[in-house]
Amino acid sequence: MRKLIILRKFFQLVFLGLFIYILWSTTYPLKGAISPQFIFKLDPLIFFFTALSRRVLMPGFIFSSVMVLLSAIFGRFFCGWICPLGTLIDAGGKILHRNQKMLQSDKQNKKLSSVKFYFLGVIFVFAVFGFQVAWVLDPIVMLARVISLNIIPGTTWALEKTFMVLIQRFDLYGPVYDFYRDLRGSLLGVDVHFFSNSLTTFIVFLLIILATAFMSRLWCRMLCPLGALYGLISKFAFLERQIVECKGCGHCRDDCRMGAIKEDEDYVKGECILCMDCVYSCPTRATKFSWRTGSKQMAPDVVESEKGITRSEFLFLLGGLSLFGFKQKQLPAQRPVIRPPGALKEEVFLDACVRCGNCMKVCVTNGLQPVMLESGWQGVWTPQLVPEVGYCEYNCTLCGNVCPTGAIARLDEEKKRRTKLGTAKIDRSICLAWAYNKECIVCEEHCPVADKAIKTQTSIHEGKVIHKPYVDESKCVGCGICQNKCPVRPKRAIRVLPAK
Amino acid sequence: MEKLLYNLESFLRRHITRGGFLRICLGAILVFIAENKFLKFAFAKSKKFPPRQKKDIKVDHDLISVSGKDPYQNTVKAIAALGGMSRFVNKGDVVVVKPNMAWDRNPAQAANTDPQVVAALVELCYKAGAKRVNVFDVPCNDARRVYVNSGIEKAAKEKGAKVFFADHWNVVKAQFPYKSPMENWPIIRDAVVCDTFINVPVLKDHSLAGLTLSMKNLMGVCSGTRGLIHMDIGRKLVDLTDYIKPELTVIDATRVLTKNGPSGGNLEDVINLDTVIASQDATLADYYAAQLVKRDPQTIPNIKEAVNRGYGITDPAKADILTVAL
Repeated sequence: MRKLIILRKFFQLVFLGLFIYILWSTTYPLKGAISPQFIFKLDPLIFFFTALSRRVLMPGFIFSSVMVLLSAIFGRFFCGWICPLGTLIDAGGKILHRNQKMLQSDKQNKKLSSVKFYFLGVIFVFAVFGFQVAWVLDPIVMLARVISLNIIPGTTWALEKTFMVLIQRFDLYGPVYDFYRDLRGSLLGVDVHFFSNSLTTFIVFLLIILATAFMSRLWCRMLCPLGALYGLISKFAFLERQIVECKGCGHCRDDCRMGAIKEDEDYVKGECILCMDCVYSCPTRATKFSWRTGSKQMAPDVVESEKGITRSEFLFLLGGLSLFGFKQKQLPAQRPVIRPPGALKEEVFLDACVRCGNCMKVCVTNGLQPVMLESGWQGVWTPQLVPEVGYCEYNCTLCGNVCPTGAIARLDEEKKRRTKLGTAKIDRSICLAWAYNKECIVCEEHCPVADKAIKTQTSIHEGKVIHKPYVDESKCVGCGICQNKCPVRPKRAIRVLPAK
Repeated sequence: MEKLLYNLESFLRRHITRGGFLRICLGAILVFIAENKFLKFAFAKSKKFPPRQKKDIKVDHDLISVSGKDPYQNTVKAIAALGGMSRFVNKGDVVVVKPNMAWDRNPAQAANTDPQVVAALVELCYKAGAKRVNVFDVPCNDARRVYVNSGIEKAAKEKGAKVFFADHWNVVKAQFPYKSPMENWPIIRDAVVCDTFINVPVLKDHSLAGLTLSMKNLMGVCSGTRGLIHMDIGRKLVDLTDYIKPELTVIDATRVLTKNGPSGGNLEDVINLDTVIASQDATLADYYAAQLVKRDPQTIPNIKEAVNRGYGITDPAKADILTVAL
């Protein structure tokens, strides 16, 4: 009986399921049992370093602190028992890797595992200087993005298309159609959402999973900065692996997925994720995990004859990440893209946003889309409103409610209605009313501002009264519904320019 | 780089022969053809549909206007005065009740039909023996928010109606016996495939059409880029009404938005008329409702078009109108 391993797998599956459930329920009525901010508040990497770079103590700080405290007691249990990306990597490794683990010498392992600490160091250095780059490699954020922007839209799309084909092809307009409608009203969500450029996150995710074909948990061993943070903390952990009367057969070393066990069967504490494999691979059951007793002499680390990483490599790393860190010296007076309502000032927003994708997932109209390079290297994956895809719903405050770091402020409805995202401008050269004297004013009809930010002036053309729209810029909030509904193609005749 | 190219070339030379290459090409073409065939099979084009057939119904009066404090009772009284719902709904009928729920506004803001009017109609339909009552709209704002905030979803579901979100793939293409600008316009299938269609608009201001009335409300069963209907709106709306041919039109004039329509939002723009108008004829209902808020019906493009064309009862002076005050 491999009780502990079964227990670990059970926990892994439960947390993966919870993770997907929380993200799936991040949608309009927002009635999920757990707040979608919560998963990110448990992530000390993005939370501490966002707080450090912004020099503020953010609400929810306590949750990350609890995780750190637990790691100081149990060690790097998060990676082995909770981390949903770790679970997927384990599953991927089961399929891809089979039983050929690439054994390495202690030196090689040491070199491999030290890379992530340099990443952590770089993130720390940047945070000290006021730039938050933790999002680039944080596993939780990365997986959340993949699930929110790829997996959930993909699944709903596939389900919708399947039902559509079945119903249309075989005339199932009876109970099958009713079932589909119920599904659509509850589980699927009304519209299938699409996210531009989201294939890139998926490819990164795929590479992480495929990397396990070469080495088990390669990402966790080598690159994950969150793992590095937990690894540092767990050096002081109370729970320890202890061996009594070892025969030196090396089975545990063969089986260790993290390469944490050294040639002499001792282990590197910061690398152990408590997967419990070695407990059961030991033929004499000589391995067990128990509380640290007394002041045991810590086993000496691997003698470092070579440097883990050269100085030039470190500088290269720093330079690479600085691409995401440094902002243009002077940001232009206008925002480069339309930000969600309540977004902080552009330069603060870029540091506060951890790119978790919650706001894009929750946006009812699918209008919030990931930015690629429109706002520079430092703005990759931040949200922008694309009015052609979806407008900002006038009474909706969801994106601020799900933002874990407060990059998008929580607004009450009254304040949200007055928040300016941008200003609409009418292109009179292609507007149906202005250029062709046709009846339209769809923009004016849809304008949600109570006494209309779009006004009309009337003129008579061939005996017909033509209303010609113009924008009252003091009232316009830039929600973009006018641009969304404008019937002119391919370019809309009314377009929203981002606010300052 | 050179090494990579060398490796690639040697790989290709080792593994690909001329025959193999041709076989791959042939396979790819076959896969393409098969895929094309499958897609054509799977994604059936939406069918063309001739106009709906209207039931031949005898009613006691051409138009009933009921005023009273409670919109629910007003509706019940109005239908009773027309001769009862059983004239419109037979046993086992599938009924569509099409309210105006287009905007993310609450009932007090008067941009959507009053939920009580819809609830009363749903209940009457079920009492008359309807098998199923469908309530839906294609809103201008986000459907989920509109359905909840207008209060109609809750009120109609309590009475047993099926409230659902319209699918934009589930449409038919409109076909007319005459030349029409609405030819081939995608229209939600449920609105066409039903036994009785009850149109339940709200009386309110509209920036382009002057007033939103029963004909304008039928834009809510259209899919596609609906903004284009605004061009030559009068003719398109009358054609659309002729296509759907609603059996019963119930105009909710409980609260009337008099300015900044159709979305509104200002409570100061709303006046209470506490009236429900029911008629079998769409033109007459629109004409009467326009007069009720003291607008010249000839300025409303769709009424003007209907009068010019002689569609429906175009002369209220000759119609049999009954006004009831509760």
